[in-house]
Amino acid sequence: MNTSGGWKEILFNNRDPVYLQVVRHFKERIATGQLLPGQVIPSRRELGGLMKINPNTVQKAYKEMEEQRLIITEGNSPSKVTNDTELLNQIRSELLGEAVHAFVASVRKIDVPIDELLLLVKRTYEEAPEA
Amino acid sequence: MIEVQDIRKRYRRRDVLNGVSFNADKGEITCLIGVNGAGKSTILKAVMGLTPIAGGSIRIDGQAPGPKLYERIAFVPDRLTMPTGMKLAEALRFMEDFYESWNSERASELMRFFGLSYSDRVGSLSKGTAAKFNLLLGLGQDSDYLLMDEPFSGIDLFSREAIMEVFTSELIEGRGVLFTTHEIGEIEHLIDKAVLLQDGKVSRAFDCEEMRSGEGKSVIDVMREVYRA
Repeated sequence: MNTSGGWKEILFNNRDPVYLQVVRHFKERIATGQLLPGQVIPSRRELGGLMKINPNTVQKAYKEMEEQRLIITEGNSPSKVTNDTELLNQIRSELLGEAVHAFVASVRKIDVPIDELLLLVKRTYEEAPEA
Repeated sequence: MIEVQDIRKRYRRRDVLNGVSFNADKGEITCLIGVNGAGKSTILKAVMGLTPIAGGSIRIDGQAPGPKLYERIAFVPDRLTMPTGMKLAEALRFMEDFYESWNSERASELMRFFGLSYSDRVGSLSKGTAAKFNLLLGLGQDSDYLLMDEPFSGIDLFSREAIMEVFTSELIEGRGVLFTTHEIGEIEHLIDKAVLLQDGKVSRAFDCEEMRSGEGKSVIDVMREVYRA
């Protein structure tokens, strides 16, 4: 089973706690369907090696995700992404909410009428090639 | 836990260590940071009993260091100390004879991982290869603690990446690692604790993740505060 694809690409910033950045990365992967409900995730040691971070940090991230019920670890079997659809939807709205907040905060400084802004957003969104 | 308590040392009428105290826990990676000449290497040598100290105490899991304890602490000095005429195979044999804690199986695994050749001579290794072999001599011991002096400095990018990979592997897991560096850069995310040295003293000692969540500062931010002040 290939659980290692794409994990290296993450770029950490130095100022936010690394374990929270790992959690966020998982949420993004879940929201974008790169990680599916019930999918097995890499072991702690594996992920530490792939992301080049300290295994203690990975442990902390996994603990945080277990507490948020994002991942489930039963006994000695490998951790899996939750199957809880409500929670999965929640992640999507959480990420969307954060992105919209950040966008609004930076646009507000420019003081643009909302209609004009919405039009601009719509056009850019439709023109932009899918990332 | 390695407990360093108020250690002092004078060398050529200069206080190299002027009351240094810090702890390094098992299962964690602790990094001693300081500019060149800050006394980082001296601290490691003092822990290993390789240099006398004028005051203070060093305890490892509550015990004073001694020959028996050194089976449980591996030390990787800043350069390879094996005789230059030795073949790598002979150097490994030497380690096996010398250390009860030597793990030959792990050593051969590492020889493969680092792509080292048994028939090469110590003196003919490039800087990066020598650094890898040097690290291998430390990792080959089944020790509770691993001390390393500047494992990342002065070597090429790929050797550095190979060594970084070791840091995130099961080779380090569960051990207490204490290493020195004068530049933090790419290893910022590898370390648990940072101990900043200045003028022979510890100016800051902190948990890196706590520093990020509590004050929103990276290790480099704190270094700037300390060394540029």
